[in-house]
Amino acid sequence: MKEFILSGLVNGLAVGSIYALIALGFALLYKSTKILNLAHGELVLFGGYLAIALTQFVPFALAVVLTLLAAALLGFTVERVIMRPLFGQPLLSVIIVTLALGYVVRGLMVGIWGGSTRNFPAALPGGTLRIAGIPIQSVGVYSAATAACLLLVFWLFFRYSLVGIAMRAAANEQLTASTLGVSLRRVFAYAWAFASMAGAVGGILLGLWLGVNFALGFVGLKALAAVILGGLDSIPGAILGGFAIGIIETIAGGYIDANIIYGFKDITAFVVILLVLLVRPYGLFGTEHVERL
Amino acid sequence: MSLRPSGDFKTTYVQDMAILDTRFYRIGFGVLLAGLVLAPLWAGRYIFLLNTIGIYAVGACGLALLTGFTGQISLGHAAFMAIGAYSSAFLSQALRLPFVVALPVASFITFLFGIVVGLPSLRIKGLYLAIATLAFQFLTEYALIHATGGIGATTVPPVSVGGWTVRTDRQFYYVVLVLWVAAGVFAANLVRSRIGLAFMAVRDRDYAAQVLGIHLLYYKALAFGIAAFYAGVAGSLWAHYNRLITTEQFNVGASIDYVAMIVIGGLTSAWGPHLGSAFVWILSQGLRIIAPTVLTVFPAFGKIATPLREIVFGVTLIALLIWEPGGLAMLLRKLKRKLDLWPFAY
Repeated sequence: MKEFILSGLVNGLAVGSIYALIALGFALLYKSTKILNLAHGELVLFGGYLAIALTQFVPFALAVVLTLLAAALLGFTVERVIMRPLFGQPLLSVIIVTLALGYVVRGLMVGIWGGSTRNFPAALPGGTLRIAGIPIQSVGVYSAATAACLLLVFWLFFRYSLVGIAMRAAANEQLTASTLGVSLRRVFAYAWAFASMAGAVGGILLGLWLGVNFALGFVGLKALAAVILGGLDSIPGAILGGFAIGIIETIAGGYIDANIIYGFKDITAFVVILLVLLVRPYGLFGTEHVERL
Repeated sequence: MSLRPSGDFKTTYVQDMAILDTRFYRIGFGVLLAGLVLAPLWAGRYIFLLNTIGIYAVGACGLALLTGFTGQISLGHAAFMAIGAYSSAFLSQALRLPFVVALPVASFITFLFGIVVGLPSLRIKGLYLAIATLAFQFLTEYALIHATGGIGATTVPPVSVGGWTVRTDRQFYYVVLVLWVAAGVFAANLVRSRIGLAFMAVRDRDYAAQVLGIHLLYYKALAFGIAAFYAGVAGSLWAHYNRLITTEQFNVGASIDYVAMIVIGGLTSAWGPHLGSAFVWILSQGLRIIAPTVLTVFPAFGKIATPLREIVFGVTLIALLIWEPGGLAMLLRKLKRKLDLWPFAY
């Protein structure tokens, strides 16, 4: 039992770091544009599929860079072509449009590269490592390390760079930021690009670990759970939520899956969503919405 | 706003309350109804398409009441349809109840589920409610897969009404048509009643409605209940029509289709759900027909044939919403206004 929990903790942290990265993109987009992007899973899918296709022609590192550029381009395009005309439209229309966007991206990915699981060429050393006596696939360790580095890079970017500060300002209070000369359009465009890039990196990391197939898109829903747990408009919350979902899914989901009902692991995230929404709808770190008439 | 001929004034309350208030609408509706009743004559082998459109229009009517009129976003409507379908299957298969009993009972069971799901909506709002209903959708799917033993497939006996057994699509069409028209008329009238007005007050600002004396919990739960009842009718019809139901027919994709239908049709229009259902199903049927042709012209598309529906569906949805966020009902209204005034600009 102790072994199971420790192993769940280590593996959960590793997969949770990737969830955290994906959730970060999700929360960032929501915070700056107030759009609940239900196509986020498809952005993850996009990263995974494109990187795998590119590794057939170029070395792995170059493929990752190209994928990130493509993801940023996709983000900019989506913002410019689809989201900008819909600015100010009702919530539901925007949600439906993100769902439709997800359909298009998933359809294109599966249509071009097929639905079967594909694996990256062995770019990273394989085998299993032992951390404090707990076996874990070494790919998982590298993914977790990469995700942690990227989280740090994102944090530095938002802390010190001009674009990052402008984005935080816009997220904090759109109107005020706008009067002080922050271009909201540019902020929205950057938010989409970053969300898309975070998703793509998540797709590559998960793809290295588990292989790429269309089921990768469902990771977007786990990121949703992470964001709900942490609070929709809190970026640290999204990161912590990602780790928490990774651990809960691996330990609680894995335990129930093996001992009580089969197949529970995949819906753990939704049980968490429902529980959090019932107990604390604004999440752990989200701002509580006080309504006034 | 509709333009009316001069001298045509409303002089009684009955005239004022009429849904079909001009001769144009009355004749138009009569022609539409006649066309639908005679559909087996002109629809040919596409009668199955009308059946599907009708069944989904019933479900979409319920979602329109919930989302369009009460403002509660639900991404789990297909889960209610699944509950209706499976309870209907259970009632008519295991308990041997006839269709005319199984359908209302199954719908009532779904209604109860709707009330329960609606209770948290007092606390969870907007986007959060959308996410909660999405979670409900996945949990229901999961529960049904396990309750039916892994496969999730269940067979349903054919409909028989008073000793007359429905065997073909054409015969089933009339079963659908009766319920379809009834559901549409009931929804159109409900939104003008005390309940419907309360729904709209809740949608526009729930706390303000509460201050005006509208019991929020009651009306929100009722809206979920009614929406679920509609979905239950649709699910029960679907189960008896297909005779073999699987959980895949009611997955999250179907829920999204439902929301797409009411948004495409027009959220706050009585015609919206019907137009939306017709649009979505005619589009996917059209794609199924032209897909082989596209493949012969562009053989390079070979791999993309299956997801073609998803891509075209998504692109159409995005284009339509950017072009006219009010949906098809708004497009029709604009068209009518243009025709009313033609050839003048205003």
